[in-house]
Amino acid sequence: MAQEQKRADAARQVPVIELRHIDKYFGSLHVLKDVNLSVQRGEVVVIIGPSGSGKSTLCRTINRLETIDAGEIIIDGAVMPEEGKMLAKLRSEIGMVFQSFNLFEHKSILDNVTIAPRDVLRVPRKEAQEEAMRLLERVGVADQAHKVPAQLSGGQKQRVAIARSLAMHPKAILFDEPTSALDPEMIGEVLDVMTELAGEGMTMVIVTHEMNFARRVADRVIFMDGGSILEENTPQEFFSAPRSQRARDFLNSLGDRER
Amino acid sequence: MKYACLLGRTIREAFVKEYGTCSMSIYALLTQFGDRYLSALFTTYKLTAAAFALAVVIGVAVTVMRIAPVKPLRMAAEFYVQVFRNIPGAALLIFLVYALPYLDIVLSYYVCVLTAITLIPSAFCSEYLMAGMNTIDPGQIEAARSLGMTFAQLVRNVVLPQAVRSSVLQMTNLLVATMLTTALASQVPLNPTDLTGIVSYINTHAVGGVTAFLISAVLYCVTAVVIGQVGSLIDRKVRVLR
Repeated sequence: MAQEQKRADAARQVPVIELRHIDKYFGSLHVLKDVNLSVQRGEVVVIIGPSGSGKSTLCRTINRLETIDAGEIIIDGAVMPEEGKMLAKLRSEIGMVFQSFNLFEHKSILDNVTIAPRDVLRVPRKEAQEEAMRLLERVGVADQAHKVPAQLSGGQKQRVAIARSLAMHPKAILFDEPTSALDPEMIGEVLDVMTELAGEGMTMVIVTHEMNFARRVADRVIFMDGGSILEENTPQEFFSAPRSQRARDFLNSLGDRER
Repeated sequence: MKYACLLGRTIREAFVKEYGTCSMSIYALLTQFGDRYLSALFTTYKLTAAAFALAVVIGVAVTVMRIAPVKPLRMAAEFYVQVFRNIPGAALLIFLVYALPYLDIVLSYYVCVLTAITLIPSAFCSEYLMAGMNTIDPGQIEAARSLGMTFAQLVRNVVLPQAVRSSVLQMTNLLVATMLTTALASQVPLNPTDLTGIVSYINTHAVGGVTAFLISAVLYCVTAVVIGQVGSLIDRKVRVLR
């Protein structure tokens, strides 16, 4: 029993996502400066910061949608290579939800969710469709399954995108400003789905401007500015007593509405 | 235009002087050569269908090479497209018929024609598919990548289907253009001849004149219009809603 506990602890020690000394340049612009980050299983990490701080780039770097100039990305103990089959495999283990949804426009909602499980994981069609319907049910868009993305609202599209990620049974999901392209009345429905996921123990990395949401779901808040992580803190501490001056300035600039 | 009219009139006058009439009537042509027109039309259709099908297959393959993550492949495909997009069909046909035998490659006339009218449209097919790809939001590519798709899976599931759907109208034009290019077949001895070749045949065996051309022209036009209509129908059906 004790040994099992120890093994479970050891497993917990391997972070799902680990970034080591990541450096990235856009030309002469140093957008990520020696960034280190590790995300444990079940953890919800929220990255916030002013625009241009590198938070989206950091999020996209985790599954190498962005190239890096130095450093290592380790997914559940495996180093993510620059290209090849292993890169594709590790990417399939990390879900991603984009600001602009990025659904496959020529496919039905159902096919959007089933295509990757069927082609990448080789799940039989029927099984993939049943699972997809369960997931669409869960995010509340099952009745739209046979429409195409252009017929859905932004909030519905983003919930489909979340279902599409979940269909791959990812070890973690990255959210790159998932509500920034949404009309205000649709933000809530997407955040609700995300809150539910967080509650179920999904490992999540979220870049967002929704401070109330961040305070509610985050296990850890990361504050970035100028390509560096300036502060890592619990949400309670961060929002009430940020350590760095720039974090204080940032929170003040949001005004009372967000706080 | 003025000179063309002048030329037409001169030819007509010459005919009238020589034969007392400028040409046979449409009725006479059809009764005498109707069967030949039909088989010529069939030859044109056969060439068109074969060339277009092959051109699409090659065009898709070349297009995949042009976006492949391997530079030599991309360069080779780019070179292919540049060559066959820019070479005149007649020049290519002459090359196949007269130059290849020097390399000890002797192809039948039919194969020469089919090759010429396949290679050129295949380059255009690739160009249209590339244009179709540009309508795809790069975000979709990122989404496919983040789901763990390899290059082949990405091309098969996301890129090609959308490129094809958004280039239906161009492909329709390409099919019509391919059909018109089959007229090159009239430059080599084929039996049965194609729809342009039949005119030469008639005019060497009788006095068909411009009317013989007119019949062929009408057959080309009717086919092109039908292709165009079917193309728009398909386009409306498969177009990607955005």
